[in-house]
Amino acid sequence: MSKEIRQIAIYGKGGIGKSTTTQNLTAGLVERGSKVMVVGCDPKADSTRLLLGGLAQKTVLDTLREAGEDIELEDILKEGYKGTRCVESGGPEPGVGCAGRGIITSIGLLERLGAYTDDLDYVFYDVLGDVVCGGFAMPIREGKAKEIYIVASGEMMALYAANNISKGIARYAKQGGVRLGGIICNSRKVDRERELVAAFAKELGTQLIHFVPRDNEVQRAEIRKKTVIEYNPEANQADEYRELARKIEENTSFVIPKPLTQERLEEILVEYGLLDGLEDQYSI
Amino acid sequence: MAKTKKLSAITHPHFGCTIGGAYSVTAIKGAVPVSNCGPGCMYKQYFHLSFLNGFQGATGAGGGNIPSANVGENDIVFGGAKKLDALLQSTIALYDSDLFVVLTGCSGELVGDDVGSVVRKYQEAGYPVVAAETGGFKGTNLNGHEIVVKAIIDQYVGEQPNAPKKKGLINLWFEVPYFNTNWRGDYLELVRILKASGFQVNVLFGPQSGGAKEWKKIPNAQFNLVVSPWVGVGIAEHLKEKYDQPYLHIPVIPVGEEATTAFIRQVVEFAGIDNKKSEKFIKEEEELYYYFLDSFADFFSEYWFGLPSRFAVVGDSATNLAYSKFLADQIGLVPVKQIITDNPPERFREAITEQFRNISEDVSIEPEYLEDGYLVEQSLAEAEFGQSVPLILGSTWEGDVAKRKNALLIEIAAPASEKVVINGSYIGYRGALQLLEDIYTASVAGN
Repeated sequence: MSKEIRQIAIYGKGGIGKSTTTQNLTAGLVERGSKVMVVGCDPKADSTRLLLGGLAQKTVLDTLREAGEDIELEDILKEGYKGTRCVESGGPEPGVGCAGRGIITSIGLLERLGAYTDDLDYVFYDVLGDVVCGGFAMPIREGKAKEIYIVASGEMMALYAANNISKGIARYAKQGGVRLGGIICNSRKVDRERELVAAFAKELGTQLIHFVPRDNEVQRAEIRKKTVIEYNPEANQADEYRELARKIEENTSFVIPKPLTQERLEEILVEYGLLDGLEDQYSI
Repeated sequence: MAKTKKLSAITHPHFGCTIGGAYSVTAIKGAVPVSNCGPGCMYKQYFHLSFLNGFQGATGAGGGNIPSANVGENDIVFGGAKKLDALLQSTIALYDSDLFVVLTGCSGELVGDDVGSVVRKYQEAGYPVVAAETGGFKGTNLNGHEIVVKAIIDQYVGEQPNAPKKKGLINLWFEVPYFNTNWRGDYLELVRILKASGFQVNVLFGPQSGGAKEWKKIPNAQFNLVVSPWVGVGIAEHLKEKYDQPYLHIPVIPVGEEATTAFIRQVVEFAGIDNKKSEKFIKEEEELYYYFLDSFADFFSEYWFGLPSRFAVVGDSATNLAYSKFLADQIGLVPVKQIITDNPPERFREAITEQFRNISEDVSIEPEYLEDGYLVEQSLAEAEFGQSVPLILGSTWEGDVAKRKNALLIEIAAPASEKVVINGSYIGYRGALQLLEDIYTASVAGN
């Protein structure tokens, strides 16, 4: 009997480090012996760069645009770090067409071409900033990703976005099996960040699954188009991602999030001293 | 009275969607509609508005052969501008036309295709191309008709600040081409009446229209004449603002001598033209009309084998109001159910309802506004026709209920698949007699 593939969607505010976290986490899981496919669902197509050692990937939509309907799986699926399968959905020219529909087209094509093979343990969908329209909710709709992690930091806008994304998850959770597995804190070195994000996660009804500290080793690896685990396996940060991989592998807490009201979200920010600091900065 | 609800037809719709406005373009002699939508969209419009609606056929670039971008998934994801550009280029190369109108449907409008910029390129190069935003979600083909007309006025007729106004020249805004099953014959009759009364007419649609060139003369008209409960009023308001042109709105299409004579006198008075010609014409037509009605009255009073006495009308507000008024006010039939199917905008509903309430001396009707075919059938089935044979004026969709009630069904609205229409008319002086012929032919048939 074939095991079920764990299909996981990673959401979070733009620029928060979704792609970096997803790829480093993937490297951690691969080290533990798992077989992983990463599907970038962002028109910028930068979700698999560290696994492939560069932006060599031709996106599904670029291939469709140039080659038409007659496409083989090899045209769009490339093997990266230790056999990781990498796909970038890509998108139309900025300002033209419908990127949301592009995501739907891409995932539909992957299914038709048989990309979801039984030997896979994980499929990650790295989705752009926010659930802006139905197309970007595609990975969490019926039968696709059932698990979601939100990447956030202690910054106000990151938490606003995380709360908003939770609203999208709550909507689809009612219709299908999609659940929130936790918040991954990608630290920005904000005061009392760990406590704040943990409190926010608790309020949502979920957990802070891991606190990834800020470490320039990540940037050093990124410049070399590598994950930390590949670039410097001995680094402390490599262990952090290994730890994140272990926690996700062992995670059993999957919930329907309870999004906060605007008022409550701001209360928490005040409680943890963030708004005070802001007022000091914006003195009139 | 019923409040405006969101357009809610789940089954058996009595109208096309916004992009059905393409058939208003087809109705302009020599004009070519270019559809920027999925392949199924225009096919549906054709079947509903033209083929299964009196099998009207079409000349030129109409019927089932409207140039179409046949938008597919790739055009949604990557945008449809390039495909439209190529389509326009070949359409212009193939057709010798002085007016092309690009109609964009739901898909292009939803993903925000910049159709304007594609079309502008051709406009700047001197080609007579117009873009109309007719996403189906904007409503029925009646809304589409108004959108298309306004687009042609704004982008093709254009600004004419010093256009001289010509006394006695009318822009006619009347039935919606193809949608109103008898539109061609009805235009013939109304134009005949207006011309014989001393007017010149920019007919704009149909066999007597002067093509795109005639549209350029719209700013020269003394006024706009809207003969419809609501369709066209928005156009007249637009023209009032744009060309400082007054308009006369007559909500009831005249059927029969009394209504038509009153109609002529109202238009002549509004225009302030000499009434000698029109009064002479009225006199001639009256004589003819009553000559025939006299003979008909003989049959009407002597036929002993059962004629309908109560009637229902299911149709758009224009035809419903026109026929209900004629049959109730002039023939003395009893209206039992009038269902309006074209979802008139809220601002016109009270006035339309008032027209029905005062349909004739001592006769008042409460019309129902229903768009969903299921609800229409349900309501029609409840109508009480008493002992006489029920008479239903409606569309093919009303066929099942008519059968169950053993009723006479006279098809007067889209879709009408059990009659072939060439140039028949049920309006004015002569059309009214045709309507009587058809109703009473059906009544005596098989007896």
